[in-house]
Amino acid sequence: MKHTLLATLFCTAALPAFAVTEAEVVQTYATLAEAGYADSLATAQALQAAVQALIATPSDATLQAARAAWIAARVPYQQTEAFRFGNPIVDDWEGRVNSWPLDEGLIDYVDASYGQSEENLLSTLNVIATPHFTLGSTEIDASAITPDFLKSTLHEADGIEANVATGYHAIEFLLWGQDLNGTGPGAGARPFTDYLPGDGCTNGNCDRRAAYLTAATELLVADLAEMTGNWAEGGAARAAVTADPAKGVQAILTGMGSLSYGELAGERIKLGLMLNDPEEEHDCFSDNTFNSHFYDGVGIRNVYLGSYTRPDGTLVSGPSLSELVAQKDGALDMQLRAELEASVVALQAIKTAAESGFAYDQMLAAGDKKGEELIMGAVNALVTQTTSIERVVATLGIEGVALEGSDSLDNPGAVFQ
Amino acid sequence: MLLRLALATCLFALPARADVAEAVSDHILPGLAHFRDTTATLAASDSCDPAVLRPLYHQAFDAWIAVAHLRLGPVEEEGRALAIAFWPDPKGLGAKAQAALLKAADPAILAPDHFAEQSVAARGLFGLERLLYADPAPSGDYACALTQATADDLAGMAESVAQGWQDDFAATLTQPGPGNRYLTETEARQALLTALITGLEFNADQRLGRPLGTFDRPRPERAEARASGRSLRDVQLSLLALRQFALKLVPEAPQTQAAFDRALSQADALQDPVFAGVSDPQARLKLEILAQDIRAIRDAALAELAPALGAGIGFNAADGD
Repeated sequence: MKHTLLATLFCTAALPAFAVTEAEVVQTYATLAEAGYADSLATAQALQAAVQALIATPSDATLQAARAAWIAARVPYQQTEAFRFGNPIVDDWEGRVNSWPLDEGLIDYVDASYGQSEENLLSTLNVIATPHFTLGSTEIDASAITPDFLKSTLHEADGIEANVATGYHAIEFLLWGQDLNGTGPGAGARPFTDYLPGDGCTNGNCDRRAAYLTAATELLVADLAEMTGNWAEGGAARAAVTADPAKGVQAILTGMGSLSYGELAGERIKLGLMLNDPEEEHDCFSDNTFNSHFYDGVGIRNVYLGSYTRPDGTLVSGPSLSELVAQKDGALDMQLRAELEASVVALQAIKTAAESGFAYDQMLAAGDKKGEELIMGAVNALVTQTTSIERVVATLGIEGVALEGSDSLDNPGAVFQ
Repeated sequence: MLLRLALATCLFALPARADVAEAVSDHILPGLAHFRDTTATLAASDSCDPAVLRPLYHQAFDAWIAVAHLRLGPVEEEGRALAIAFWPDPKGLGAKAQAALLKAADPAILAPDHFAEQSVAARGLFGLERLLYADPAPSGDYACALTQATADDLAGMAESVAQGWQDDFAATLTQPGPGNRYLTETEARQALLTALITGLEFNADQRLGRPLGTFDRPRPERAEARASGRSLRDVQLSLLALRQFALKLVPEAPQTQAAFDRALSQADALQDPVFAGVSDPQARLKLEILAQDIRAIRDAALAELAPALGAGIGFNAADGD
């Protein structure tokens, strides 16, 4: 009897010493974010160097090297998407770097089959070939394609979100060009000669195309540097989650749930399948969609497990939300960990199939049962984990999670476009 | 004595369980049955004459609006919610997909199994709207066959949704427990509260918000179901349905009900069926007030219904961009 009592007392007393606190969990979260954006920045700088090499000496080799650098840059960036929806500082900024889908005819030449969008007068502007144009009743001088012009004038011009002038996907289009293979295999096939100065230039205006690519890459680097600073010691995003740890935990869960369900499972994966539309691929020019989805899934798991593997293989980790949940409900923690793992496995299955020659575009084709099964496997796994994320919210006694970071509440004017 | 005790327990237990059960039996199941019946009537018509089909189309659309906020269960399977009403469609994918079907004129695609595999943008109520209200109307045998295939497909989906609730999902919601999709009554309540709140937001942010655009750049062309003149009607019918839904969930919610009444009378006073007034400062103000009134319902519901149900709101399909 005495022994039992003593043991109980010991356990109770010992718990606080080993227990993970909300404050520690949000510290880990902010540290993961800082590392993720720092890696996104470093890989974007490598992309910038590769773009400079392409423009200095256009060749098949320099174009391939720039494409490889773009794909490498997506690996850390996609993992940071788990930080987006819970943090207004990230969500308000995100449109500059990862806007999608885009009416790429705004930027450069497109195939005749592309057509003019009824909702977007600028969908076939081709600014690279058009130094002067009219927007509404305003004369626009696009004779110099600078970072400021892209950011302040062309991006979301006419209040239309599909007018994406900056970020990863604008750069992707300039490196790959349109993917004209429909639901067949194959990515965009832009020739390096699109960047040749002088007579060898294909498709016209190579100097302006090079200026565009240079400016867009410069902007991407600057934007990522800004976000890395936001998560460093003293940064605003770090302060927002660490000042009130309970709110910080709420941000983690909002980010996990909104990315899992509405954004990734719904908007980016299921919708494309239901439309059978290869243009609904997230990385549609480069056919890199399977990687982007996969690293989103990994990123969601990272923030729960408090652990992130950097591109150089080193591990960043600390006290985790998983441990915090386990203290309250061990079974729920185990279930969510298993479900996050199952999503990564399902996304890996798509990645493996795509890398073995079954392109993501082909999976989207109407009536392709094998592709549908692979894609719905990932959708269902992501939807399943969302239910457990909701249960974690209830278990931790957090209120109003889905409300935070919802466009309609935070910024009623912004969601209409 | 024992019986009295048992009865007392039952009576006592009833109010606690009534919310989800009543919402299912008095709001959801009758609404879905009506959607099934009206789409079946539309599909049963042999005519291809728009004058004959339009009233039937409106009845089916009315019935859909009364259940469109129920984004859970069978309607989320096989992309049915998207296929029944693919809107908003900012890239004009519906028109593109339907034009491609008309151009190919492939009879094989119209077989039910095959048609159900076509792009969700080409199907459902908005596919029908484009066929019945196009100017000029697409003519010829293939357009007629496509109209009938679209109506059949819609009726098939409505049937599957109604049946799925009847056979399975109604019990899933009303009998939560271990191993079930909903482990507790609280989770089932949360699912319905989320549907209610998301439905309100959809009216304010999409049905009104898209045409409102910004003051400098209103977008009347973005109003929902503009060709068939249903933009305002959809908001009115949706609010009526949501009010009934809220009432079934929590019968005593005076602030929420008053907020509904305010928004509905604001909507009823509008003489603007397709929100053309967004471009006119005076008329625009009334539409902005309506959007605010709808957001006020959401705030009242969160303040009043959430504590009454002991539930918060969960994630929804509209989270994200």
